[in-house]
Amino acid sequence: MSTKASGMTTGVTASGRDPVTGYVSDERRRMGAWLIRLSTLALAALILMQSLHAAGMISFGFTNWQPVLIAYTLWGAALCAGNVMRDGEAGWRALFVLPAILFTIALVIFPTIFGFVIAFSDWNLQSVTGRRFNGLDNLRQLWADPYFWNALGNMVFYVLSVLVQYVIAFGLALLLNQDIRARKFFRVAFLLPFMLSPVAVGWMIGKSMLEYRFGPVTRLLRTLGWDEPTLLTTPWLAKTTIAAMDAWVWIPFMMILILAGLQALPKEVQEAAKVDGATGWQGFWQVTFPLMLPVSITTIVLRIIFQLKLADIVITTTSGGPGGATDTVSSFIFREYKDRSNVGYGTMIAEVYLILIIVFVALLLWGTNRFMQRHRY
Amino acid sequence: MKVELYNTLSRRSVLKGAVAASALGAAGSVGLPVRIASAAEDVRAQILAIPGVGKGQPTDADWQKVGALCLEPTKANVKEGEFKGVELSFMGLNNQNVHNVLFRGLSKAWADYTGATINWIDLAQADYNARLQQAIATGTVDFDVIEMGAPFEGDVCGKGLASEMPDWVKTQIDMDDYVGYLKAPVGTWEGKTYRISCDGDCHNFNYRSDVFADAGLAEEWKKAGGEGDWGVPKTWQQVNAYTKFLKGKQLNGQDLYGYLDPCKGWGGFAFYFLGSRATAYAKHPDDKAWLFDADTMKPRVNNPAWVRAIQDVLDSLPFEPADQLNADPGTTGFQQFLAGTGTMLSWWGDIGSNVKTNDSSVIGDVTAFDILPGSDDVYNAGTGAWDKLASGPNYAPNMAYIGWGIYVMARVDSDPVKQKAAWSLAAHLGGKDISLWMAAYPSGFQPYRNSHFNVAEWTAAGYDEAFIKSYLDSEANSYNHPNAAIEPRIPGIFQYYSVAEDELAKIYAGQMSAQDGANAIAAAWEKITDQIGRDNQIKLYKASLGM
Amino acid sequence: MPRALSKTLIYAALIVWTLIALFPIFWTFSTTFKVAKDVQLGHIIPWIQYQPGWLGLRATGLSPDTIFNPSTPREEFIKRFVNSIQASVGASILALILGSLAAYGLSRFQYRWKIWKNSDISFFFLSQLILPPVVLAMPFLVLYKELALLDSMVGLILVYTLSVLPIVIWIMRDQFDSIPPELEQAALVDGCSSWGAFLRIVVPIALPGMVAAFIISVVLCWNEYFFAALLTSTSAKTLPAMVASQTGSQGINWWSMAALSSAAILPLIVIGIIFERYIVKGLTAGAGK
Repeated sequence: MSTKASGMTTGVTASGRDPVTGYVSDERRRMGAWLIRLSTLALAALILMQSLHAAGMISFGFTNWQPVLIAYTLWGAALCAGNVMRDGEAGWRALFVLPAILFTIALVIFPTIFGFVIAFSDWNLQSVTGRRFNGLDNLRQLWADPYFWNALGNMVFYVLSVLVQYVIAFGLALLLNQDIRARKFFRVAFLLPFMLSPVAVGWMIGKSMLEYRFGPVTRLLRTLGWDEPTLLTTPWLAKTTIAAMDAWVWIPFMMILILAGLQALPKEVQEAAKVDGATGWQGFWQVTFPLMLPVSITTIVLRIIFQLKLADIVITTTSGGPGGATDTVSSFIFREYKDRSNVGYGTMIAEVYLILIIVFVALLLWGTNRFMQRHRY
Repeated sequence: MKVELYNTLSRRSVLKGAVAASALGAAGSVGLPVRIASAAEDVRAQILAIPGVGKGQPTDADWQKVGALCLEPTKANVKEGEFKGVELSFMGLNNQNVHNVLFRGLSKAWADYTGATINWIDLAQADYNARLQQAIATGTVDFDVIEMGAPFEGDVCGKGLASEMPDWVKTQIDMDDYVGYLKAPVGTWEGKTYRISCDGDCHNFNYRSDVFADAGLAEEWKKAGGEGDWGVPKTWQQVNAYTKFLKGKQLNGQDLYGYLDPCKGWGGFAFYFLGSRATAYAKHPDDKAWLFDADTMKPRVNNPAWVRAIQDVLDSLPFEPADQLNADPGTTGFQQFLAGTGTMLSWWGDIGSNVKTNDSSVIGDVTAFDILPGSDDVYNAGTGAWDKLASGPNYAPNMAYIGWGIYVMARVDSDPVKQKAAWSLAAHLGGKDISLWMAAYPSGFQPYRNSHFNVAEWTAAGYDEAFIKSYLDSEANSYNHPNAAIEPRIPGIFQYYSVAEDELAKIYAGQMSAQDGANAIAAAWEKITDQIGRDNQIKLYKASLGM
Repeated sequence: MPRALSKTLIYAALIVWTLIALFPIFWTFSTTFKVAKDVQLGHIIPWIQYQPGWLGLRATGLSPDTIFNPSTPREEFIKRFVNSIQASVGASILALILGSLAAYGLSRFQYRWKIWKNSDISFFFLSQLILPPVVLAMPFLVLYKELALLDSMVGLILVYTLSVLPIVIWIMRDQFDSIPPELEQAALVDGCSSWGAFLRIVVPIALPGMVAAFIISVVLCWNEYFFAALLTSTSAKTLPAMVASQTGSQGINWWSMAALSSAAILPLIVIGIIFERYIVKGLTAGAGK
């Protein structure tokens, strides 16, 4: 991997070493290259041997693949060292990012490939025949599946609700940014909902607080005049309730990011606007908000990504009901995958969903790129 | 009678009292058979007194005491410390302080005595099926003993993953004591026995005795032009009529509702509740099959009998509590019925054993039990017509889930010590006396042995006689009913249920008619059958029905 | 608008939201001390509407009368608690190290390998965040079985690190982007290597941001349920699965579920209180310049 420093000057430094290419002797370069080549060969040989052993073709080998994992780690270290030896300073720079990449690839490569294999197969865990390749059948089934489209439609609602959450979170952040007493208390208090585990949220809030007869929330609604607060039985109300519960958990997350952005704003600009005669409201819209756009967008994008994975609360509280009104794609996948052991089809739904999200997020980022001068995507 | 006989008899009753009052150890040293019989009864009386009916939910300490008292059968087969160093993994449910957590307490004395250590794998009920299937499919069976439901025997035993039961275990647990439907073929596979039952499962009918004996309501019923006398319903037709009648009425200031239908999915288990409504319509005494056609595995879930049951639910929903669409079986049982809402309910026997001993219950004194309601007519799948039986209404209790059991996995067979340890643990937990305790107190398990139905023992423990007689009768009459609808033990049975739950949710929400929805369920079931392997399913379905 | 009125409105809004945010948590705590009757009737205020009792804590073996006796639920709870701490903290530290390094690299240098540029590498990491974990259930099960990592703390830490790494990278990249490169350049001119500059100059400045990323990672790992339920059985099991199993065919034991949930959230609250100032201060350096 070759690297090029950005914004850094090239040229000889005081100590005589070029920080970019460094001075690397030929011998060192060759040693580094050989280190990489040899360790790669060793790893490849080990993998080959273990594969043959696993396929039953040779008897020599380890009982599991753990030694290969360890060998991989060693190979990674050798690669990094070899890079440094071979490329000098450029190697050092690569070293920043290599460990994370190697780590991720190691854990992800097999599941991704295997995931794709499963997605294109008909695999019901209880079937006699086991896993069977079935081409595009899963895709066709998905296209015709009403539950999938229903869930996808629901996701549109949930994603739109992120905007509402954003407004609330922004409001809270503005409040906390004011000069108030006990700021630390409020900040901690507002952060707490994020820390409650989703399982607990589903049960404690969804089933206990919203309980039709005696839950505090329904009792409050009754005192406010609503006779039969069946929050989870009418489709749109159920959707809103689920969205509200999820919002309760994640608004602190957005709020904190926005608050940080607000606190980093240079005060001079706002002061200048005030001096110029802008009212508080105008000052906000014309000065603060535009400056906050980069943070806002990244907050919304992150939140959308998490919102699209919503499943636990739905599963616990409504099982996707009533009549599929609150079903999310993730909770639907959950049912297919776990309850019906329909692993092949479930994986296909997930892969399609993954691609949809990636496309959506990429479009979102591309579309908002001009608001985010700093972020280089 | 002869003096000697009389003296023996009266001495026996004196001794009985004395033995009951003294510690167990003293009784064991005397050789008279009379004493040993008393000692055995005494164990049972002793354990039933821990912690005592009405004294709140049993705690960990109580379980340990019970486990210690029931150790005798193990001691007969295992020496002290015989399994020192053996580690067993036990996989089971961890439903709030019962099942696995109960087992921990009950097995502590066993572990202390034998020297073995037990590692517990706890699963939430929702994760159980998936985890089991994944373990089987990927070959990651990492447990030695498992608490498993009978429906999964096809997957586990059929694939050779279970260890065959040794004969000494059969004697220790006294398998002859099981109720009729739990004996073979249940628990066996191709002639070999694999299962230690620890539970019997059927749905029975729970109802509020105060409501159906109330004179005021009887009068209102007459005034409203109700058919027949007001009283405990015996058929679904009556249940439906009462449900429509009861909405809006009150008793002692409390709003009344009729039958409670669970409308939300519960990992597949909610389907049993539709089944309970349908078996009286769909299970004909002359036909063993009721869920699928035995020869083709064609689903029957969209035949007129099942559609009528679904329609019953749709007709009753407007008269049930307003949030019923969001009620899963756990809600109907524990948050509604036990808490006083609703007057009729089908559930497993857990309701009965919790009514007096569970902290959530407020209806301890006014609940009674019966077998599931019957139907005035029953659908004949062969002729396609509704028959009226000469014997009266058709009853078909739903043997839902058949029951939990303890199985040992084949992976212990390679090590004889481990194998003995695993089976000893399973036998301890499935023992005769310990199971009596589990049947009487909240445990997740229902009575399943004929010896559980001794009303005298229960009354001695503190249960009200009328109450316990009603409860036990409903169970026993269901288990031994000639027309019981037994669940098929075929692979993937829960997949059928899960897919049905999804469609039922849509039907109950009013998005489809009952017939259209039932057709959708049938279509989905056909797909599953094909995916799993139709020929195999047909073969297994027939075997499970004993055909 | 007059200052006093706006101040009052601000405080009013803050209090309203505090109630919304804290009431469910208060509800969880107070349910720990209720019995079934109180839960069914929805009593809220202890001592006035109901008598608090020790049922919830007794069910987990933590009440005053059971705390000195052996109790299997309590042993279970403590074991899982310790496991959760190990998994969360371990994974967060590992993710922090790997992620900060990667973020710094992506911020300062322009990599290119064949056709992959910085932006592609960043998106590669981000895509790990998008994938719903349920997709990877079977593959991971098989992978971990082959690697003999099932039910091991190491295995769990690796999976958790993988899941929070993208977030760490994302947060830290913001951080590093906002630290002017001139600081390191001065050091580089003096002959420092890039690593030296990083460790000696940049890290101290970005430390608050690292703390922020660390805390968010800990919270996310602590509450992670899916992989914990899938990949562990006896030795590495964590808390969320125990909370989830407080329900089943016997109804719901609200008190023990509340007790466990409260116990599960307490460490996070403590962390929140201690590190709260770092969270805001840390992200401050990065955002919205």
